[in-house]
Amino acid sequence: MRVIDDMTAILTGLWTTWKHILRRPVTIQYPEEKRIPSPRYRARIILTRDPDGGERCVACYLCSAACPVDCISMQAEEGEGGRRRAAWFRINFSRCIFCGFCAEACPTMAIQMTPDYEICRRDVMDLVFEKEDLLVEHCGKDPEYNFYRHAGIGVTQPRGEGEGEKPTVDVRGLMP
Amino acid sequence: MAGADVIPDPMEITLVIAKIGLVLLVILTLAAYLVFAERRILAWIQDRKGPNRVGPFGLLQPLADLIKLLTKEDFCPPAGDRWLFFLAPAMAAIPAIMTFAIVPFGAPVRIFGRDLPMQVADLHVGLLLFMALSSIAVYGVALGGWASNSKYALLGSLRGLAQLISYELSMGLSLVPTVMLARSFRLSDIVAAQEGGWFILYQPMAFAIFLVSILAECKRIPFDLPEAEGELVAGFHTEYSGMRFGLFFVGEYINILVLGGLAATFFLGGWQGPLLPGLLWFWGKVLAFAFLFIWIRGTLPRLRYDQLMHLGWKVLTPMALVNILATAWWLYLAGSSPL
Amino acid sequence: MPKLIIDDIAVEAAEGVSVLEAAKSVGITIPHFCWHPALGRAGACRVCAVKLLDGPVKGIQMSCMLPAQEGMVVSTTDPEAVALRRQVIEWLMINHPHDCPVCDEGGECQLQDFTIACGHGTRRFVGPKRTHVNQELGPYISHEMNRCIQCYRCVRFYQEYAGGSDFGVMGSAGKVYYGRFESGQLESPFSGNLVDICPTGVFTDKTARFRARYWDYDMAPSVCPGCSVGCNITPVARYRELLKIVARRNDMVNGWFICDRGRFAPKGVNAPSRPRTSLVDGVKTGREEAMDALLRRLGEVAELYGEGSIAVVGSTRLSQEGATLLPLLAESISAGALSYGLSAAESRASSGAISMLTLENGASIADVENADCIAIYESDLREEGPMLLLAVRQAWRRGAPVLLVGENSPLEQVRGVGIEAVQLHYMEEAPLAIFERPVVIAGMRHGDPRVMAVLDRSGARVACLFPGPNGHGAALLCAEHGGIPLEEALAKGKVKGLVAVEADIPAELLAGVPFVASLDWRETAAVQAASVVIPTAAWVECDGTYVNFEGRAQRFSRVMKPGLPIKELDPACHPPRIHQGDPPGGDILPSWQVMIEMIRLAGEKVPDGPFSGSWANLTSLDPEGEGEVIRGRCRRDS
Ligand code: SF4
Ligand code: SF4
Ligand code: SF4
Ligand code: SF4
Repeated sequence: MRVIDDMTAILTGLWTTWKHILRRPVTIQYPEEKRIPSPRYRARIILTRDPDGGERCVACYLCSAACPVDCISMQAEEGEGGRRRAAWFRINFSRCIFCGFCAEACPTMAIQMTPDYEICRRDVMDLVFEKEDLLVEHCGKDPEYNFYRHAGIGVTQPRGEGEGEKPTVDVRGLMP
Repeated sequence: MAGADVIPDPMEITLVIAKIGLVLLVILTLAAYLVFAERRILAWIQDRKGPNRVGPFGLLQPLADLIKLLTKEDFCPPAGDRWLFFLAPAMAAIPAIMTFAIVPFGAPVRIFGRDLPMQVADLHVGLLLFMALSSIAVYGVALGGWASNSKYALLGSLRGLAQLISYELSMGLSLVPTVMLARSFRLSDIVAAQEGGWFILYQPMAFAIFLVSILAECKRIPFDLPEAEGELVAGFHTEYSGMRFGLFFVGEYINILVLGGLAATFFLGGWQGPLLPGLLWFWGKVLAFAFLFIWIRGTLPRLRYDQLMHLGWKVLTPMALVNILATAWWLYLAGSSPL
Repeated sequence: MPKLIIDDIAVEAAEGVSVLEAAKSVGITIPHFCWHPALGRAGACRVCAVKLLDGPVKGIQMSCMLPAQEGMVVSTTDPEAVALRRQVIEWLMINHPHDCPVCDEGGECQLQDFTIACGHGTRRFVGPKRTHVNQELGPYISHEMNRCIQCYRCVRFYQEYAGGSDFGVMGSAGKVYYGRFESGQLESPFSGNLVDICPTGVFTDKTARFRARYWDYDMAPSVCPGCSVGCNITPVARYRELLKIVARRNDMVNGWFICDRGRFAPKGVNAPSRPRTSLVDGVKTGREEAMDALLRRLGEVAELYGEGSIAVVGSTRLSQEGATLLPLLAESISAGALSYGLSAAESRASSGAISMLTLENGASIADVENADCIAIYESDLREEGPMLLLAVRQAWRRGAPVLLVGENSPLEQVRGVGIEAVQLHYMEEAPLAIFERPVVIAGMRHGDPRVMAVLDRSGARVACLFPGPNGHGAALLCAEHGGIPLEEALAKGKVKGLVAVEADIPAELLAGVPFVASLDWRETAAVQAASVVIPTAAWVECDGTYVNFEGRAQRFSRVMKPGLPIKELDPACHPPRIHQGDPPGGDILPSWQVMIEMIRLAGEKVPDGPFSGSWANLTSLDPEGEGEVIRGRCRRDS
């Protein structure tokens, strides 16, 4: 009978919720209790340095292009030794959705996500982080990687002496 | 009680006023804590903790809510009808409170040498007054939605109107057998008639219909179509803020208490019960109803509008009518004293 | 007209075109590096492989080398062709460095596009990469030889198309090197095109080094303001700063290329000293107040010195919009003189030219390229129209003799593009009559108006190089409204108040004028001397029209919003942390709108827009189109 089925359904529902009333809540009392997020957690973004201490970011604009909410902006410039770097670099964390696309797009491992999720501010402008606020003094994840050693344009080493490169060609040589 | 030509005894007046004050205090406090209890119980159902920050175990939460509501901006939409807009919340809350005047909430006590019924007004047409007041409460919903001049509010109030009117019918019809059994519209008589056995035993069908109808009268899940957050923002009170919203809100909880009290009076023997004092029995029953309402809210999904109408008109009303006929037939067969 | 089938699409190709071009004509892009529409094919990169399923040839073929023939059935998606293309790219990428992030070509790189299009993703070869030492190629072009994929486009352009001799290819096999024999600035006046033409990042624009990416650029179709040729360009801006200029194709004007002057010469748009606020006696005010002050003082001048003491001066760099409104402005402030230029000689030559030119006898660049004899009359094309030099070279490559007529046509100009030329003294000496399609290129700077009659009779098509990007338009208006050169107006000594609208008037000429006002976006001598300055929008900051040497009206579009570049707002090395609608210094109108405002303030009837009456047909020019030729409208006998 349909009525019986319906009644059973309603009563089963009531029984299920009743059981949950007696169950232990899963709530974590946030400021007192804190969860330790995994190292791959996607929260506050940093700009890391390469193992030699140089800025990893080459201001290639790939992160800003990848960002679905357009919250990264920067201006590239030429630094010393022909190094490409950011003159200014800004992430608007009030817009960021912590999707991690920027970190995924970054070819130099410069931009990385950290597990620090406690970045509320009273004033929204304080959530606009400049390069000074983003740049850290360590390599973050991938501590060995140094883009310029592979890049083949000789910024951190003379041309032809990077990893996986032959010495430069002598164009005036007659040897085949 | 005192006739028009009798000068009322000042003592009597004082006692009545004291009773009114007491009832108001209890009802309002209970309603406030009912909100709190609802939030906690719903949280438990959902494996959460619920409000537990303000005061010990969050017990001061209602106070915090009150302060918040009082200090909020009292906003009226510019295109709305100001007077009706301000009137509507009162229209929703006042009839609910007034209904409680006829509910006997305890055994009569002897005080200052006189019998004092635990009831504000023991009207001989108490049940009819309840029906009348509950019809007036419909205006709160209707005017609130109309005066807001907002499509959500209007839709909510239209749904509310249709729903309340429909379920009032089944609610009223489900009470007819009670009156037939008690042979009185006076609520104290109805309670007294249940001394031998609660009407729920004789009239389980009427009780079921009444229960479903009062759920709908309270606009509670699964009958919360007039508010339907998912569809209508907040339904008929979308445009309300501050204490006016608070009145709608608290009106709903007072309604739960009042209707719970009436359900107890009509079907569960009112304040009657073994061992414990009548007052405790009564409020225990009321709170049990309140818990049931909350529990149902934590369990069931909302009906669709057509299902709502189908249930009201095609199931509950015919069932109540059949039930009346059955009761009448039974009374006819059983003679003058069925109980 | 051979008919063939490419990827199941029936194509009717023009005679002699390659399969690659035939495919392109129906919207199928076959990856290619060495083939370029202006340079043709070389068959060097091997990446345009297709498979011929049926017809006169069969099997895998290079589509750029294979002329489209009747009955061919071509598949660009055949697994064999796809695999070959992928392998060729993989092989090209073996030595390519891992540096897209620091490469200015990234984002606008043909190599990136076609690598992805061909499906190559990971470098499987684990051996080391060959590397090169770069050369210092001067202040405009940077060189990064590691990125080269040996397509030979650069050499073919530089040596064959542009006639340069200081750049070439050296070495063999894995050592091929494209550069100069030793470091040094590239000599060709067209060297900047290497940046556009190299499909990779070997040559990039040094002036915009490490500044922005393609997807962030503010770009719009525009016209070069460098000279009267009116080459089509795409200026590139970012954060309200003009970064660089790249060539834009217009087959009726410049084809695919532009000259180095147009590309690299400082444009003044970014100059920090540029006027950006209205000034009255050196004090900053709002535009309305400045206009009020201007009108009041003009009134005072008129009262003091009498009727006709005011001159309104435009220029050949003022857009046609501004130039057409200039007479209305002059009328509204009761000016006594209207001029579109300074020099009397130039003015006479220009008016001679416009009254001689007709739709039939005017020459376009295409006419120059197809000429069988070219005479350059009293002109140094390096100054007056460098792109014509490139066109002359194309004609010369097809066998046309080049004659340099007059003492102001130096031989050095043609040497720069590797041409041999004959020098003559007088136009009458040139044996134009014996050729079928002779073209005369005449300069206006030193030109003698009487020669115009000779040219008119010679039967040759004539290209007159007017001064400035809108010289032709200004000359037409000058004739229409009876303008006189400023030198003449000043010589009479009557001019006491002068309104310069984007006019470059030297300080000497202004010395005797008590009241000068200037509407300009450049910091000219007139701006410095003016007591009322109203800034106007630069050509990249507004829409406008230039009429080029052959009388082709071309619309340019706004590239960026006016306003101080972020770079200049920059106290702590990052953009301001305040948000506002209009950028600082952004309240700037184009000169024609300023003029309309002034006409309104002067209480005259305001025209609906810049163009009305016989000029109304310029209202709806398409910036991406070929432009509209309006020459000949002033010819006396028509
Ligand atoms: S995490 Fe996502 S939203 Fe945030 S900056 Fe990166 S790309 Fe943008
Ligand atoms: S993608 Fe990486 S290297 Fe490129 S700009 Fe962003 S952070 Fe810098
Ligand atoms: S030339 Fe193209 S593929 Fe090569 S590094 Fe530059 S952007 Fe990347
Ligand atoms: S430098 Fe550029 S144009 Fe020249 S061969 Fe190399 S890739 Fe081709």
